[in-house]
Amino acid sequence: MTSIERRAFVKGATLGALAFTVGGAEVLLTPGEARAQAVPLRALTAEQAQTLEALGETLVPGARQAGITNFVDLQISIPPEQALLEARIVNIRPPYANFYRAALGAVDKASQALNSGRGFAQLDAAGQRDFVDAMRQNKVQGWQGPAGPFVYFILRSDAVDVVYGTMDGYKALGIPYMPHIPPVQRW
Amino acid sequence: MARKEKADVVIVGAGASGSVYAAVLAKTGKKVVVLEQGPDWKLTDLISSDFWGRRIKTAGAPFLLEGKNPYGYSYQSGWGVGGAALHYFANFPRLLENDFKIKSEHNRALDWPIAYRDVAPFYDKVASDVGVSGSAKAEEIWRPRGRPYPMPPMKTFRNGDVWLKGCESAGIRMVPAAVGMNSIPYKGRPACIYDGWCHVGCPIGALANPLVTYLADAKKAGATVRARSTVTRVLTNAKGDKVIGVEYYDAKGEQQVLEAKAVVLAAWSAQNPRLMLNSSTDKHPKGLANASGLLGKYMMAHFASGTWALFDDDVQNHMGTTGAQYMSYDRYGKTSHKGTFGSTYIVAGTALKTSDLGGFANARPDLFGADLQAFMKRAARGLTRLTAFGEEMPNIENRVELASDKDEFGMPLGKIVHSFDQDAVALWNANFEEGLAVAKATGAKEVWSGRGNMPTIHLMGGTIMGTAGDNSVVNSYGQTHEISNLHVAGPGIFPTSGASNPTFTIFALSLRGAEQLAAKWNTVAG
Ligand SMILES: Cc1cc2nc3c(=O)[nH]c(=O)nc-3n(C[C@H](O)[C@H](O)[C@H](O)COP(=O)(O)OP(=O)(O)OC[C@H]3O[C@@H](n4cnc5c(N)ncnc54)[C@H](O)[C@@H]3O)c2cc1C
Ligand code: SF4
Repeated sequence: MTSIERRAFVKGATLGALAFTVGGAEVLLTPGEARAQAVPLRALTAEQAQTLEALGETLVPGARQAGITNFVDLQISIPPEQALLEARIVNIRPPYANFYRAALGAVDKASQALNSGRGFAQLDAAGQRDFVDAMRQNKVQGWQGPAGPFVYFILRSDAVDVVYGTMDGYKALGIPYMPHIPPVQRW
Repeated sequence: MARKEKADVVIVGAGASGSVYAAVLAKTGKKVVVLEQGPDWKLTDLISSDFWGRRIKTAGAPFLLEGKNPYGYSYQSGWGVGGAALHYFANFPRLLENDFKIKSEHNRALDWPIAYRDVAPFYDKVASDVGVSGSAKAEEIWRPRGRPYPMPPMKTFRNGDVWLKGCESAGIRMVPAAVGMNSIPYKGRPACIYDGWCHVGCPIGALANPLVTYLADAKKAGATVRARSTVTRVLTNAKGDKVIGVEYYDAKGEQQVLEAKAVVLAAWSAQNPRLMLNSSTDKHPKGLANASGLLGKYMMAHFASGTWALFDDDVQNHMGTTGAQYMSYDRYGKTSHKGTFGSTYIVAGTALKTSDLGGFANARPDLFGADLQAFMKRAARGLTRLTAFGEEMPNIENRVELASDKDEFGMPLGKIVHSFDQDAVALWNANFEEGLAVAKATGAKEVWSGRGNMPTIHLMGGTIMGTAGDNSVVNSYGQTHEISNLHVAGPGIFPTSGASNPTFTIFALSLRGAEQLAAKWNTVAG
C-alpha cells in the first residue's frame, strides 16, 4: 500500500459508519442494525416510519430489513451538508425532512381516500404494488403533494441505496466492490 | 469587523479553472489567494461508495430553477476544494474546428473570437501538465495534427468492446477515448486500476483532479487556498474601471475584505454571473462589466441520449472507469442528422455501479419490486451503455438572474431559467434513434433507449467571450471588456458549447487566459 492509500483507508474507516444515538451515546451501526436494535427515530413519526418502510419494501424487496427508515430518519435529521441522500443531487431544497414528510403524507392521504381509510402500510401486497404503479405514472386519483413520479423516484433510490448500494448489496449480486477507501461495516 | 488583507490576485473558486490560474500566477511570484466556499477536501475524503460520495456534492445556497427544462444544478455544480472536477469523469474530448465558427458557416448561433488553432497549443500543454491517455493519431481523422498524448490509451473491457460491431454497422468509427487519467504511472501519480469509482473521486490520484494537478502546483508555488470562504461581492474603484478586491464571509461567518490587484472569477458558469450581478455600483448599474446587457445570458447545457444493451453473457461492467473507453466525432458535423442542428459526440464503455443516477437501477426506472430484483441480477452481468452528447445552441432567453430570496449571507439567490428549443429536442431524438440501431446491431439480448426528462449536463455560457463590449462580456482571454483587471474563467466564457465535455477546453482556455494575465501584469493590475 502506498502512503496515500494507507492514510485514505484509516480516515475512511472512521468516516464510513453512520452514527446512531443509542441510550444517549453515539454508536456506529448500519441502518439494518439500527432497525434490529430499535434505535429511536429522530425526525419521522411512527406512522411516517411505517409508511416509509412499507413503501421501501414494495419498491425494493429487502429495504425494510436493510433499515430504510432508520437511514432516511438519520439523514433528514443531520445538517443537509452531511446528508447522503439522493435528494441532495436532484435539486430538492433542504431541509430534506420537508420533502419526506410531504411525500409520505401525500401517499397516506391518497391511500386512505381510495381504500376506505386504510393507509399505505395497511394495504395488502397487491394493493401496495398497484398503488406504487399508479404513483409512478402520476395516476393516483386525488393526489396532493410533491409529484407522484418524483416521490417514486426518490424513495426508490433510497431503497436501492440501502439494499444494493452497500458492500453487502454488491456481494449479493456477485459484483466485486473493489473500494479504494471502503466504508466501514460493509456499509 | 472586516479585516483588510492584501493579495496580488484573488481567485474565487478552487475548481478546474481557478486552479489553473492559481498555478500559473503563483509560479510567476504573485501572492495568490484562492477563496473557496466549500470544505477543504483531501484525497482521503473520497470514500468509494455511491452514497458516501454525495457528501462531496453541492451544499450551500441553492439556485432557483425555472423554464421548460429546469437545469440540474445540484448534480452538476461543485462544492469545496477541487470543485466539480473533484468528482468529474475526466472525459477529455476537445472542441473541433467547426465549433468556433457556427455563425460564419451556418448563419446561426455565434462565432468565437478565436479559432481552433489558437486553443490547440494549450490542449497540448494541458495534456502534458495533467496527463491525458488516448491516441492523438487516431483522433486526427477529425482534427488537425497536434502533439501525441503523453500516455497510451486506457485498457478496454467487454462492456466497451461489445459496441464496436454496432457502431461499425452504422458507419461510426470508434477510437480510444481521450481521458484525463493515467493508463501508466505519470508524474509520480499511479496508473488507474479500473475499479470504476471515479464519480465519487479518485483518491489514488490516477485521475487528473485539481488536487493532484494544478492546485498542487499552485500550493507548491506558494498560493494560499482558503476553504469555507464565500465571496459575495467584487469591489471596484470609484471610477469603476478597476476591481480592487472582494468581500467574503470566512469560516466563522464573519465578513472580510480581501484587496487585490486583479480578481479572477472561477466560481463556475452559474455563480460567476450571480456574483457580477450582485456587484453592481453606480458605474455598473446592471452588474459588473454588463454594459452589453449580456451578463448571465446564453446559458447552455449538453443533453445525452443514452442507449442500453443487456447481454446474457458477462460484459464485466464492474471494470473500467466512469469515463469512456471509446469515442467518436463521426456525428460532430452541425448538420449530421437530417432535420436537426448541432454536434453529437459519442462515447461507449463505462464501469457501472448499482445505485445513484447512472447505476443499474436507473437503467430501468419503471421497474420495482420483484421485477427490479430480477433485473438487477441480470444487469450485474450483462448491462452496458452507449451515450451520445448533444449540443444546445445559445439562446438569449436561457439565463441566470438574481432572485428576491436571499442566502445566509444576505446575497440574493441566483435563478437559472432554461428551456431546450426544438433543434435540441430533435437532435436528442435523432441520437436515440441511431443509438437504438447501433445497439440492435451488437447482438444484445435486449436494447432500449434511456429516455426520461431531457437531461441538462454541464453548464456553459453566461459570461460569453466575443470581439467587443457590445456583443459579449469578456474577450478570448476571459478578461472583461470593461474592467481590465477582472478575469472570468471556466465554461461560462464559451459562446457556443460544442458537444464535447467541456473541461479539457476549460483547462486550455484558463491556461491561455492566465498566461496572458501574467504577461500583461504590469499594464493590467490595479
Ligand atoms: C458528475 C460530473 C461529471 C463530470 N464529468 C466530466 C467529464 O467527464 N469531462 C468533462 O470535461 N467535464 C466533466 N464534468 C464537468 C466539470 O466538472 C466542470 O466542467 C468543471 O469542473 C467546471 O470548472 P469550473 O472551474 O468552472 O467550476 P468548478 O470546478 O465547479 O469550480 C468552481 C468552484 O467555485 C466555488 N464557488 C462557487 N461560488 C463561490 C463563491 N461565491 N465563493 C467562493 N467559491 C465559490 C465552488 O464551490 C466550486 O468549488 C463533470 C461534472 C460533474 C458534476
Ligand atoms: S477507475 Fe481509475 S481513475 Fe477511476 S477511481 Fe479507480 S483508479 Fe481512479
